[in-house]
Order: sequence, then C-alpha cells, then structure tokens
Amino acid sequence: MTDRDGTPEAHSRLQISRRAALAGGGAALVAALAACGKSSDDAEGEEGQGAGNFPQTPKYRFVFVNHVTTNPFFVPTQYGAEDASALLKTDFQWTGSEKADVAEMVNAMNTAITGNVDGIAIAITDQKAFNGPTEKALEAGIPVVSYNADAPGNARLAYIGQDLFLSGVEMGKRIVQLVPEGKVALFIATPGSLNIQPRIDGAIKAIKDSGRPIEYDTIATGAELNEELSRVDAYHIGNKDVKGLFAVDAGSTQSVAQVIQKYKLRDEGVKGGGYDTLPKTLELLQDDQIDFTIDQQPYLQGFYPVVQLYITKISGGLTGTGEMNTGLKFVTKDDAGTYMANPSRFEGSSEDQKVIRSGA
Amino acid sequence: MAPETAAAPSASARFAELALGRRELSIAVVAIALYVYFLNTVVDFASTANLQTLGTFIAATAIVAAGQVFLMISGEIDLSVGQVFALTAFVLYFLTDAGVPIMLAVVIALISAALIGLFNGVVTTVIGVSSFITTLGTFFLLNGLTLTISDGRPVDTPGGETFTNVFGGGAYSGILWAIGLVLALQLVLMRTRWGLHTFAVGGNLLGSREAGIRVRWVKVRNFMLASTLAGFAGILEAVRITSTDPLAGGSGIMFQAIAAAVIGGTLLAGGSGTVIGAFIGACVLGILRDGFTLQGVSAFTFDLILGGAILVAMAVDIYVTRFRHRGGRGGAI
Repeated sequence: MTDRDGTPEAHSRLQISRRAALAGGGAALVAALAACGKSSDDAEGEEGQGAGNFPQTPKYRFVFVNHVTTNPFFVPTQYGAEDASALLKTDFQWTGSEKADVAEMVNAMNTAITGNVDGIAIAITDQKAFNGPTEKALEAGIPVVSYNADAPGNARLAYIGQDLFLSGVEMGKRIVQLVPEGKVALFIATPGSLNIQPRIDGAIKAIKDSGRPIEYDTIATGAELNEELSRVDAYHIGNKDVKGLFAVDAGSTQSVAQVIQKYKLRDEGVKGGGYDTLPKTLELLQDDQIDFTIDQQPYLQGFYPVVQLYITKISGGLTGTGEMNTGLKFVTKDDAGTYMANPSRFEGSSEDQKVIRSGA
Repeated sequence: MAPETAAAPSASARFAELALGRRELSIAVVAIALYVYFLNTVVDFASTANLQTLGTFIAATAIVAAGQVFLMISGEIDLSVGQVFALTAFVLYFLTDAGVPIMLAVVIALISAALIGLFNGVVTTVIGVSSFITTLGTFFLLNGLTLTISDGRPVDTPGGETFTNVFGGGAYSGILWAIGLVLALQLVLMRTRWGLHTFAVGGNLLGSREAGIRVRWVKVRNFMLASTLAGFAGILEAVRITSTDPLAGGSGIMFQAIAAAVIGGTLLAGGSGTVIGAFIGACVLGILRDGFTLQGVSAFTFDLILGGAILVAMAVDIYVTRFRHRGGRGGAI
C-alpha cells in the first residue's frame, strides 16, 4: 500500500498536474452523472395547468414504495399509477426493494420523506417496520396510503388492495367444494410475508371450519419462478396421493398449473387453483389444467392510491382517503378467454391504450 | 526548521502527496465529487434529515465490509455474512424472549456469530475446502436455519428505549458505530501483529508459514471477525427498522460489502486493502443510492443508472490512479 518513494523535486514538479488530474477526473464524473440524471428531469416539479375541473397546483410527486419492484405482477400497478398521474397531471416514482428487503424499503421511504414528496403509497409487508416512517411522514404533512399489503396498527390513511384473509377464506371454501376429502397441498412463496400469509391463513381456516376430512400440507416454494416450479414438481413426485394443488401467490400458481400439465394430473382428477393472472396461468386455466385463479386487480392498486393522495392533497386532508377492497374475482376457464384475447394495461400484458368491449 | 514562507508550499505539496499517494484517497475524491454533484442538483440532499438517511444507507454495509476486508487481505472471502446478519438478530430475539437480559443477549448473539466464523475458518483452513465453497455452503445452511427457527415470519425487535437509541435506533447511531469500528479496525490492521500477519498471509502464504506465522489461526481469526461484524450490523439494522426479518441482509448486503471493499481498493486476490478504503467505498454506494432515490429515479432505470455510475466512478478512479503512477509513483495499488 505504500507509494512513498520519489524525490521531493519530483513531488513539486508533479503537484500542479496532479491537481489538474483530480479536477479533470471529478469534472468527468459530474458530467457523466449529469447525463445519467437526465432521465429523471421530468420528475422535477413544474407548474401544472390544473387537471380537469381541479385548481392549478404544483406538479405533485407521489412515491410508491414496493417490496418487489421488478416483479411482473406489479407492471399493471405501475400502468395504473401512470394513467392516474396522466389524468391528474402528477408524477410518480416507483422504488423500494427488488427482493422484499424491509430495511431497503424503509430507506426508500425515509428518502421520500426527506425529499419532501407530496404523498407516499407503501406496500406494508412487515407488521412493525413501517410504523415509524409512516408517523414521521404524516407529521411532516405527507399523506400515506398502503396498497397491496397492509398491517394493523399502522397509521396509514387507507388501504387499497385485496382483503387478503377474506380472499383466503373464499379460496378455502372453493377448495372444500373441489376436494371434499383427502390430501391437498397449499403452496406459498415466502411464508410470513404480509401480502400472502393471510391468504393461506384464511384458506386453512375455511378448510378447518368445513369439518371435512381434508389433510393439508403447507409448502414454501421460494421467491423465484424457476425455483417455485422445481419445488412444486418435487412435492408432487414425493406425494403422488395428493388430490389438489393450490397456491397463494402468482409464481406458485403458475407452477401448480405447469406441474399438473406436465404429469397429466387432470386425468387422475387432481384439482388446482390459486392467485393472479400471469399469462401462463391464464393459458393453462383456459386449457383446463386448473380450476380457478383469483384476480386481485393490480391495476387498481396503482390507480386509486394516486387519486386518493391527490384529493387528500388538494383538499388539505379534509377528504380523499377511504379503504378500498380491490377484489375477490374468481377467474374460471370460461373467463380466461376474455383475458387471453385482450392483452391490456389492466393485466400488464400490453402497453397499449385501448377500449375493450365486454364479452369480446 | 524551514522559514514559514517556504513551509506553506511544502505543506500543500505534502497534502497532494498524501492525497495521491494513498489508494483509498483517490476513491475519496470520487466520493466527494459525487457528494458535491448531488448537493448541487438535489435540493434536499443537504438537509439534516437526509444526512441521517444517508447514514443508514452506509452504516451496515461499511461494518460488514470492514470484516470482509480483513478476510480478503488474508486471501479468503466470506459469502455467508448476509445470512449471519439475519440469524444473529434472531438469536438476540430468542434469547431475550427466553428472559436473558438484553445486553447479555447481545454478547451471546455476537459470540454465536463468532462461532459461525470459527466453523467457516476451521472448515476452510483445516479441512481445506476453499472459502468460496465453505461459505457458499453456510450461506444456504444459515438461511435455512433462520427460516426454520423463525417460521419465516418477521418478529418485533426486542429492547427498551435506551438500548434502541444506542444500538441503531438513534438518528446517527448506526453511522457512529460504523465510523468507530472502522477507525478501531484500521488501527488494528496497521498497528498490530494481527494486522501485519494478515497482510503477510495474504501476500505470501508460504513465506509467512516459513517465517513461523500461524497462518491458519490468522485466517480463522479473520473469519470470526467478519462473522461477528456481520452479526453486529444485523442487530443494528433490526433495531433500526424495529422488525427482525428472516429475509434481511442476504446476498444483497454481502455483494454490497464486497463491492465496497473492492471499490475502496481491497484486492480480491488478497495481500492488499484498507478498512478506511472500504468505508469510503460504502459511502460511494450509499451516496449513489440515496441521491438517485431523492432525484426520483424509478426502480427499472435505477439499476441502469446505478450500474453506469459505478462503472464511471471506478473508471475515473483508475484514471486518477494511473496518472499518479505515470508521475513516477510506483508501488502497489
């Protein structure tokens, strides 16, 4: 580590040019950063014209803190936020963690607060970690709503998303109808995550409440799709007597459908189902490889937070927020076609804006 | 004694000598340039609140990186630090849950982290499995252990108000711990036999052995240090976010710590590096993450810009370093 050779004369001779090197290096770095930063220039506040009937306001900036920012599930959520932002002439930033790291999400939320944004939408994936930041934001006059996942005890103004436990209960009832007795498997990507754990809790409750002789295994599958598929596959190989495969997250549901297809389990009367409308899930649902999937309408989970935060902002908090259950929509073989035939921003399957006629 | 008039230029010459003569100070130039850039382009970057946030971006990475530096200098690496990070916080939780007083629980949790380091070290140096493979094994093993004992569920981090404020919850507590540990460990590295032996073992293993250094023990000690620091960082972070999460840390913090060390001048091949350099490396990463988030960069473009900025920053660093060498300064990087 020591570079302490060289004569004093050499030092003074080099001194000025070394400074120039430092300055040159620094300038190059700043120039390069300025070029990088350009893409975010449009996030800077500029005067809006006033959307529709609304008064003229500065261009509000809302921040969405997400637990899996690059997960395809949230593409329609971002489209929803984008469309609402265009409607209301606001801006939004999509940030958080790529792999459900709570500390990273807390950092992103704290940065949003120090950046004095105009509103925060947060997926509350931890029982307690977001309580402090939420209170800090509200104290600073920044409205906070939760979307997609929620926790009791957080001071957020409203939750916009699926009532997770209730949806799990409904799924459990459906499971009891499909498999009145025998063994079923319940797959969950990451046990304990607040956005999926309540669903499996709800399903288990419904199964128990039914009083039917149904045995269930709960299996963790991991957070990555390739891993999830392998785990579901492995479970099937080790448990050939299983009568139904059900999952509570998008990746596991797709995996369930793929495993049923791979081993032709429909011929043995195996039932299947789960959550969300990944393209492969819909394709296999239409092909009758599974019985149902539950659509929680992720588009709305991006659209309504922007609307609620905007109205809270312009009304000075007099109004704006309200709980919103984005749903419990069972998609079956018959509806799957409509989804498939109409790639849309609502499902994240197409970027294009267009009108979809019902029943088409 | 030189007269004052002559002393002034020679002092600044000495500063320039110092600034360019040391590897970690050229990356400091990059860090300062980044800081100034964000100071001038993002209004709230200079606020007190952001200074606190910036500290939270840096602290954990810097602490984990400090241990990694010792290990990397001695020619080994620890991939399992991110899992020790998560596990140690759970050990703390279960101990306090069982009624152990919290300070004692912290000590026992840190000892358990050190034991994991001991295990990594013994498997690597005695059995002879390469540290990359040993710690890849413990990476999965510990992750599974954490998930099993926690049932995959996050729990509330224990601790009263004073404990919380001191161990990560206070506004500057994390970053102060980081700075304190970095300074102390830099001294250990530069001024003690442990540090000297660490360099010797990484630079010339055979020579060190023949010179009578107990090379295995040096490496094992560094494994234990790296694990203990990772565990400590895990506790600080769990206290800060008030929730102990089985998915905390993981490969994310491990890569960031290794990146911070390498950016700060520690060689992946061993034999060279400084703790201060790794701290500055962590600052560079932290400033980039904080600054771009404040600027409103969204997730998809974020990685694009972060990756580009790291490459540009490192290229500038190499440019400054190369200039120094061209100016007649030899020596190792």
